[in-house]
Amino acid sequence: MYLLARVERVSKLCENVNEYLLRLDRKLGSKPGQFVMVWMPRVGEIPISVAWEKDSLLKLIIARKGVVTSYIHNNIREGCRFFLRGPLGKGFEITQGEALIVAGGYGAAPMLYLASMLREAGSRVTVALGFRENRNVMLVEEFEKLADRVFVATEDGSVGFKGQLTELVSSILSSSRYDIVYTCGREQMMERVVRMAMNAGIEVQASLERLIKCGIGICGSCTLEPQGLRVCWDGPVFNGYKLIQVDDFGKWWRDASGKRVPLPT
Amino acid sequence: MAGGIGLGVRIASLDLKNPLIVASGVLGVSVGLMKRAEEAGAAAVTTKTTTLKERTGHPNPVIYELEYGLLNSMGLPNPGASEMGTVVRRAKEVLRVPVIASIGAAAPDEAVKIAEHLLAADAIELNASCPHAKGYGIEIMSDPGLVAEIVSALKSLPLPVFVKLSAHGDLRLVASKAIEAGADVLVAINTLKGMAINVWARRPVLGGVYGGLSGPAIHPVAVRAVYELYEEFPGFPIIGVGGVESWEEAVEFMLAGASAVGVASALRRGFEVIGSIVSGIREYLANEGFASVREMVGLAHRV
Repeated sequence: MYLLARVERVSKLCENVNEYLLRLDRKLGSKPGQFVMVWMPRVGEIPISVAWEKDSLLKLIIARKGVVTSYIHNNIREGCRFFLRGPLGKGFEITQGEALIVAGGYGAAPMLYLASMLREAGSRVTVALGFRENRNVMLVEEFEKLADRVFVATEDGSVGFKGQLTELVSSILSSSRYDIVYTCGREQMMERVVRMAMNAGIEVQASLERLIKCGIGICGSCTLEPQGLRVCWDGPVFNGYKLIQVDDFGKWWRDASGKRVPLPT
Repeated sequence: MAGGIGLGVRIASLDLKNPLIVASGVLGVSVGLMKRAEEAGAAAVTTKTTTLKERTGHPNPVIYELEYGLLNSMGLPNPGASEMGTVVRRAKEVLRVPVIASIGAAAPDEAVKIAEHLLAADAIELNASCPHAKGYGIEIMSDPGLVAEIVSALKSLPLPVFVKLSAHGDLRLVASKAIEAGADVLVAINTLKGMAINVWARRPVLGGVYGGLSGPAIHPVAVRAVYELYEEFPGFPIIGVGGVESWEEAVEFMLAGASAVGVASALRRGFEVIGSIVSGIREYLANEGFASVREMVGLAHRV
């Protein structure tokens, strides 16, 4: 039961990150924060968050990371096929008001879609993006078109604020009032952002990543303890109240055997 | 007890508050998921099949959703017996319902080594029927003598032994060998071996090529298996598994001869399905004038 998609355009966003514009044989019907499973026959199947969708057009932003993503970067050109299933999981809940989006690296991928939905809902949107260095910076201009304010942090200071994204977020939170914080990126970063927002009494939602196998909540390989929350089905987006009770948040994940192991840094 | 209806069943030494057990495969190695199943009303939970050493399972895709069921090729991923022992001990601290530990082994001494790590469980279930892991499951069922040897070896431990059978192979012969060797409960059936090919990719979909079919598609096959086992071994405890999505399939299994019923694939629609199956069984019993769930076991066999 795979959806067939045809690649209309491949664009390079920054080093090792490409954007694929796909035409589907039918509308997907996703919400920001939901994901699709992308199957490359003979190679494998991986979860990718939806970066944008309209009518039968879909954008996926794919970073070169493992076997399947490297295959896509090396082999998939305009006119090639994608096999997809989804949309899967629960996405972000749109809360009207003053919104802050915090995205690290290619965690920015689903956030442009979220920002456009927030704008449609009448929210004011501030965006804080963090990257390692200049060659990892992506989507800043696109966010600038959509958002009211965009801040960028790079660890080496080559673009914007010099330092960690969490330092930038801390100063943004102390200078303005927000109703909601949305975050996606490295889990250690998100854990700090969730705690900052919770401490400031601000609602927060974070999108988690785990090893996804079935994608439909049946195999247990992406489960968080002790609540038994399945990232693929109950998530990948969870609110802060849930996350601060999750032992695994920012600390543990599961390897392919299902064993809990320290979260990769 | 609500409405005076006895929903409880005793199977081997396990007291179940109702006939609904979560079957192996869907709870991963997660104590949290087991707890959610218990809170949703399950009377017992079964762990994912444990092998002696850890297995990472097959590469993705591991699942293929169909209108009438699921095809899976997980390939028995599990963290190995020692780690699963820790999970089972933790589960026993957190849960009040029985925990059944599923094991996969190709030889008697290997089975005993695995089970020795799992003695905190309430029962051992020998998976003699997984269709997509080489050397385990279905392949051992093609050798009824081996199933008997493994069961007999497991009986040296102080836990009841369940044997999960496949509808492939000689069901009655394997069951009789297992019972002779001391098996306490028969579980029928596991998934059926199948595969899917994508016509556009012109390739098998599943990373493991072959998978196990579950869900509504296999229910009639499972009912047949339970019916045949009950006919051959009247009164012997059977757990019916395969395509239970509502109370009706559960009742059907019990009428065919199952004392208890397993659910697995139905949980893809959420854990709430457990509660609705249990309350549906209760309502059926009340409306049809049964005092207890035990009264309907095997009733379809009466002439």
